[in-house]
Amino acid sequence: MKRYEEIDHTADWAFRAFGRNLKDLYENAAYAIFELEGATDAPITVTRQVRVQGIDYEGLLVNWLNELLFLQETKNETYQQFKITNLTDTELEATIQGAAALPTKKFIKAVTYHDLKIERTPRGWQATVVVDV
Amino acid sequence: MRAPARLYADEELLDDALQDKSVEQLVNTATLPGIVKYAIAMPDIHQGYGAPVGGVFATAVKDGVISPGAVGYDINCGVRVLASHISADEVRPHLNELASALYRNCPSGVGVSGSVDLRGDDLDDILNRGAQWALERGYARAEDLQHTEEFGQLATADSKTVSPKAKERGRDQLGTLGAGNHFIEVDRIAAIYDAASAKVLGLFENQVVTQIHCGSRGLGHQVCQDYVDRFQRVVKEYNIILPDRELVAAPYDSGEGREYAAAMGAAANFAFANRQVLAFHIRRSFAEVLKGKVSDFDLHQVYDIAHNMAKLEEHEVEGAMMRVLVHRKGATRAFGPNSPVLPDDLKPIGQPVLIPGSMGTMSFILCGTEGSMTQTFGSSCHGAGRVWSRHKAKKEVRGEKLRAEMQERGIAVRAGSLSGLAEEAPQAYKDVSRVVEVVDHAGIGRKVARLEPLAVIKG
Repeated sequence: MKRYEEIDHTADWAFRAFGRNLKDLYENAAYAIFELEGATDAPITVTRQVRVQGIDYEGLLVNWLNELLFLQETKNETYQQFKITNLTDTELEATIQGAAALPTKKFIKAVTYHDLKIERTPRGWQATVVVDV
Repeated sequence: MRAPARLYADEELLDDALQDKSVEQLVNTATLPGIVKYAIAMPDIHQGYGAPVGGVFATAVKDGVISPGAVGYDINCGVRVLASHISADEVRPHLNELASALYRNCPSGVGVSGSVDLRGDDLDDILNRGAQWALERGYARAEDLQHTEEFGQLATADSKTVSPKAKERGRDQLGTLGAGNHFIEVDRIAAIYDAASAKVLGLFENQVVTQIHCGSRGLGHQVCQDYVDRFQRVVKEYNIILPDRELVAAPYDSGEGREYAAAMGAAANFAFANRQVLAFHIRRSFAEVLKGKVSDFDLHQVYDIAHNMAKLEEHEVEGAMMRVLVHRKGATRAFGPNSPVLPDDLKPIGQPVLIPGSMGTMSFILCGTEGSMTQTFGSSCHGAGRVWSRHKAKKEVRGEKLRAEMQERGIAVRAGSLSGLAEEAPQAYKDVSRVVEVVDHAGIGRKVARLEPLAVIKG
């Protein structure tokens, strides 16, 4: 199963992430962000714990991805491995690994609620995400 | 819908607008509680998040909402124009050196820190006082503030409503350009359409001017994210039904609504200070390269405008003046002559409206009109508006080729990212001259001057 695919969207960037289950989906969505940025090749030197909350699964996905972008901008790091250790419809905990490296292809500034959809598919789940660059 | 929707366009621009979800988003804004008259789309409209880019609407202060999604992530993204006293012929021999100095002195691109060392309460002070802080620290002249929208300081700002996360993002970013579609340009005035207004603004044909296009950086983005997230819970409490979660809103007359307004004001002040510090660096670059080589290297400020903002204003609605919150996302305030918020020297001609075009093509300076006050809550367009996704632009255009083409036309280019350059290719945008023609023809803006680029600096 591929982790994500890019989709066309005027003004900015969008992708669709896939997963066999919701944990997979959230991990693949995070991976998509950093691979689109061209930031998943550096040797891993950093490990962080992340905890976010949201009012529902969609809100949680937005907050999870935006937390990663916040860390990117304030720590000057990018991330490539994501292990979600706890996921409910209002809370997420994860261990992330990455490097003190900058994006090489583009810089994503925020994940939006625009056209956001988390849906069941025959093979598991998919999420459509539009980002602001 | 609670109100109608009105779109300004010519046939080609209308076709463009129908290619994406802009019109659907325009209609969505017309469902917001408290909206008055009609929702408006400018001719540069394109799909945004929640509200379209190029959208304007007003909500009544007494019972209407304020919506962070309808202001945008880059709060007070805007434009500043500084004008020189010299012509392009005097500057051309030094253009490459000037472009390099601007690129060196104006931090741009990803992960690049600002040059201003902020300590203690400095950041809170900037959030509360904007350009006023910059004046006290020697980055501005008093005339700069006079020729800035809101005089560079939104009085409703309150740094306490800005989260620690937003402050952490902004702390290192004062005086930086960012990337994406932000830029600094050196231009020449290629045409004057309104000689009397041009004279008031200190503009003449073949004059060298500079443009800055940028906003509130990561700080503004975080403020928008924080309140879009917070308002997800709030809408349920106020029984507001939304066609789109990004269009989340709260009553302006509520604790949450006022807090967002104060945080938005603070982020706006950060952007005013940001453009002011960049203006300082630009003046420094001109002095560095041109001192002793041209007759006068000084730059005076023409004006500074915001094109992502919600403002508390008074407008005529059904024959009476009403206090409204005018949301402009990718749209510019364009107050007409004699408006009390303009400085005395600009009252006779109306507010300057600075319209940056797509990269390497042309930009315009307009003035606000009586027509914009009656038709569009004193609003006009903001730029060219995208037609291609960044994804498509990168597939269709090679950055190196684009840079070479521009350089062949005599435009000095300094870009931190060639793929970023490709994303800004002019083919990816509407024709800004058509956008401006529609605005001028409809009477919601009056053409004063056209600018053409001599140098483009981007992150």
